[in-house]
Amino acid sequence: MSEWPSDPKFLGKDTRRLEGPAKVTGAAKYSSDMQPEGWLYGMIFRSKWPAALIKSINLEKARAVPGIKGAVTVRDGERPVYFYGEELAAVAGTSKQACLDALRLIEVEATPQPFVVDPVEAMKPGAPSVFTDSPNLSEAKIKEEGKVDEAFAQCAVVVDGEFSTQVQLHHSLETHGNTIHVRAEDCTAWASTQGIFSVRDGLADQLKLPQSKVRAITEYMGGGFGSKFGPGVEGSLAARLSRETGLPVKIMLTRFDESLAVGNRPSSYQKIRLGSDKEGNLLAFDLDGFGSAGFSSGGRTAGGGGGAGFPAPYIYKVPNVRTKQAGVATNAGSSRAFRAPGHPQGSFGMESIMDELAVRLGMDPVDLRIKNDPFEIRRKEYAIGREKFGWAQKYKKPGSTPGPIKTGVGVAGATWGGGGKGTKAQVTINPDGAVEVRCGTQDLGTGIRTVIAVVAAEIFGLTPDKILVRIGDTDFPPSGGSGGSTTTPSVSPAIFDACTKGLQQLQTVSGVADARGVNFLPACRKLGVEPIVMQGEWREGLSSSGAGGVQFAEVAVDTETGFVKVTKILVVQDCGLVVNKLTAESQVNGGVIIGLGYALYEQRVMDPQTGVVLNPNFETYKLPGISDIPDIEVILLDMPERGVIGIGEPVVIPTASAVANAVANAIGVRIHSLPITPDKILEALDRVPKGATAGNEELDPAFARVERADGVAGDFVDFLPA
Amino acid sequence: MKAFEYVNAQTPESAAGLIGTEGRYLAGGIDLLGEMKEYIATPARLVNVKNLPTTREISKTPEGGFRLGANVTIAELAAQADLPAGLIEAAAEVGSPQIRAVATVGGNLAQHSRCWYYRQRDLTCLKRGGSTCYARDGENKYNAIFTGNPCISPVVSNLAVALTVLSAQAVVWRKSKEVRLTMAELYADAWNNPLAQNSLQPGDLILAVEIPAPVAGVRSSYLQVSEKSDFDWALVSCAAAGSVNEGKFRGVKIALGAVAPVPFQMEEANALLEGKPCNEASANAAASLILATATPFSHNGYKVPIARALIRRTLLNLAK
Ligand SMILES: Cc1cc2nc3c(=O)[nH]c(=O)nc-3n(C[C@H](O)[C@H](O)[C@H](O)COP(=O)(O)OP(=O)(O)OC[C@H]3O[C@@H](n4cnc5c(N)ncnc54)[C@H](O)[C@@H]3O)c2cc1C
Ligand code: SF4
Repeated sequence: MSEWPSDPKFLGKDTRRLEGPAKVTGAAKYSSDMQPEGWLYGMIFRSKWPAALIKSINLEKARAVPGIKGAVTVRDGERPVYFYGEELAAVAGTSKQACLDALRLIEVEATPQPFVVDPVEAMKPGAPSVFTDSPNLSEAKIKEEGKVDEAFAQCAVVVDGEFSTQVQLHHSLETHGNTIHVRAEDCTAWASTQGIFSVRDGLADQLKLPQSKVRAITEYMGGGFGSKFGPGVEGSLAARLSRETGLPVKIMLTRFDESLAVGNRPSSYQKIRLGSDKEGNLLAFDLDGFGSAGFSSGGRTAGGGGGAGFPAPYIYKVPNVRTKQAGVATNAGSSRAFRAPGHPQGSFGMESIMDELAVRLGMDPVDLRIKNDPFEIRRKEYAIGREKFGWAQKYKKPGSTPGPIKTGVGVAGATWGGGGKGTKAQVTINPDGAVEVRCGTQDLGTGIRTVIAVVAAEIFGLTPDKILVRIGDTDFPPSGGSGGSTTTPSVSPAIFDACTKGLQQLQTVSGVADARGVNFLPACRKLGVEPIVMQGEWREGLSSSGAGGVQFAEVAVDTETGFVKVTKILVVQDCGLVVNKLTAESQVNGGVIIGLGYALYEQRVMDPQTGVVLNPNFETYKLPGISDIPDIEVILLDMPERGVIGIGEPVVIPTASAVANAVANAIGVRIHSLPITPDKILEALDRVPKGATAGNEELDPAFARVERADGVAGDFVDFLPA
Repeated sequence: MKAFEYVNAQTPESAAGLIGTEGRYLAGGIDLLGEMKEYIATPARLVNVKNLPTTREISKTPEGGFRLGANVTIAELAAQADLPAGLIEAAAEVGSPQIRAVATVGGNLAQHSRCWYYRQRDLTCLKRGGSTCYARDGENKYNAIFTGNPCISPVVSNLAVALTVLSAQAVVWRKSKEVRLTMAELYADAWNNPLAQNSLQPGDLILAVEIPAPVAGVRSSYLQVSEKSDFDWALVSCAAAGSVNEGKFRGVKIALGAVAPVPFQMEEANALLEGKPCNEASANAAASLILATATPFSHNGYKVPIARALIRRTLLNLAK
């Protein structure tokens, strides 16, 4: 990909975030900071029932609260409710307290219905049905390649295990929401979104306004992780309230709301069998899996994973593969894309069973992976990583550290596409030398503004701070939503294209043969009064896809208290051409921290008796804090010849698997479910008095096909000191 | 939250007079405002007690002990190097720096249940006046393994556990008089009564906590295990105080937190340790005695091994 400069000044180097000072001083205005003249607070009224038939919703008393200017129902007439926290109505008023008071006066006539929130329960015959017209369990999708049963019969070693993963919430620090002003002819929405154009189009559709009359603006935003595309129910309610009141309405969700209805990573349950020959060549794989994506899962979906599917046998090449996946509907908020959808689940099951196999074979887990990984870059990364990490010195027989605090190491790999797609951009070169780049992308916190400046600076031979970058506005040339690790590979080529053309034009008009660097300003001065305005767009050749990465983890486990401390994560990751090293590494850090939360802390807890979410706050929904975060070392393979590839998703994926493998290596027993909390560790170590269980129960009753086979955990127990 | 009146009390007498039947004392507000925002508490009046004279001071008693004013913040406690080590450690583990800077000693001791059913805005469990304890058959991972009543919400005040083994007393303004309650007395009602958070009666105002003068050679220690490294509630906490003379335990007291509606102690275990060698075997024997009557629920049996480890570790810390 020789089009990218071969001897860059800024590409692949460290450029600080352009908006850093604005963010730390509070000058940066987020959607929640917008206060257009006359704006009203809006708040959402939610179902207190996990399942119900709503007959009527009466807003009269709410409207009568002093300060309340408008109230709307989500839907008029009778309607079902599928989960606790489902949106039913909204109010807008001059103060937050007025809204809170009004919400308490909304009267609902409803008939509660039976409900089920636990996917394993939801699959049982006789379980309450989430939908009256379709079963909770979707029709399983079965895929078979090769001859699985025959292959297993030939395997020298077969391991099996049951794994499960929890529901993880996105919990962006900036909650979901918008400030929206609908006028007679047009609409402006300040949205906390990762897709300004999808917000614009969604609102235009709903308000029956031309797309050209709706403007969505996102100058700064505090995270989305896949959960913030489109206006959402909260956006559409704000728009309706604005239309009703004629005033701008701001609905920013509360932290409580964030736990209920704006997405999550679906759960997964996996029963896996894996077989190899004596040398560790994988021969056969069998998966029976299901998961729940909340109410939008199961029998109403197209079948298969039902929104909760995951890749298997993940990154490995196995000649004989059978997978069966289903989705289960439960009375819970629906899943949404969550940084690397499906992959962390698939990775946890597969990478766990890989380590079981390695132990059984007496083989180094890194060797086993290299042997069975078809992706050359990742094989190289394992080699680099094991050196850097000191794997050979650190990897030892599971559970063999003397004393109660046991250390262990683990490894896992990941894959992601992360390619680019259509984006347009515009560069303006002014006669005074001022450069402005406009692109209708949005920065969900990942640093695209800085990336744009780096690319433009590189081409013009200027420094990044000399480039005025304007993004986050649908009045700018269009770009796609920031999801799937596509932003940098979509946007960078468009900037490259626009700026390259702009530079050529500048050179033509000014007659300066090379208008870069010190020649830039003199060339601009020759433009007279007419600036150069040039469009560019994404095109093939400047980006590609297919990122690979591996992570190594080291942990210390207190076997008397079950406390796990992660002491080191090493990341070796490919993302093609590194545009800005600093923000790329920052993406890695963020991804690893999400992975750590998934590994050890985070879990949405729902109460089976009442159907409510029990931990709708940061006190009991446990996010990793600063002291939980280990030394994270990042090695980026800078490969300019591959063009730009996204890095957001792949770095989230292997962390939990590597940590889980490190824990198993430390204590000699495997924890089969995430998050790995002290209760599970102590139970796995057989330290919990009998009769008490800690949620690491066998999943077996849920699996129809095979009779229960003990996990390989038993094989490890021998290594435990008495 | 529900609209309320706000008044500033200048003396204990006026505070107690202003509280009425629907008022609540306000100190740092960390706990109370949380309850009010969720409409778990809907007081008609808040009586700010932070301006009561001398309640923000740490001072020496005539007998050489410490008097901790009720409005001393937890951050101030944690920074007071001459206080017993166990108390400083317990204070330092409370919440986050922001919480410690605002939360007070009195409020910490008088804080209400953190059971997540109790704190769920749309549920009304037994402790909130409903008919059911949801935790018993539900998600009881963080609940108690000892209780004397149908509610299994544990005491979660770090300070209460540390103060218990230091034989501290709460100085309480009750019906126009100062009364003194041991930590056991301060929580006794919560053991028996599902509706009680502690033994404070309506209008009771904590003025201070007094810790007897330190005896030469007596040490104290506090340890807790949480799911996270920092800013997380204890799954189990444990405090011990006493001395180790010529390798033998003397006058040792031990208490557990987050396992019972009261700071959980057992006189028999303290007695058992008397004169025993300071070693793992003695500590384990005490742990076995204390934990023998534990009745874990479906998801909290893991608290037993954690408690065992913490009892051993805090006891052995006394020799360090
Ligand atoms: C996220 C989070 C984490 C936390 N983690 C911990 C932890 O790890 N360990 C721990 O111990 N605590 C923890 N806490 C609890 C916190 O320490 C207490 O809420 C705080 O100490 C209460 O003190 P306050 O001054 O804010 O009390 P307030 O909220 O003002 O009052 C609390 C209660 O005590 C009453 N009260 C206040 N002062 C008096 C008085 N003088 N006499 C009688 N009654 C009085 C009030 O009426 C109210 O009922 C945590 C809290 C939060 C929100
Ligand atoms: S343990 Fe107590 S506070 Fe918790 S649900 Fe039961 S009664 Fe309520």
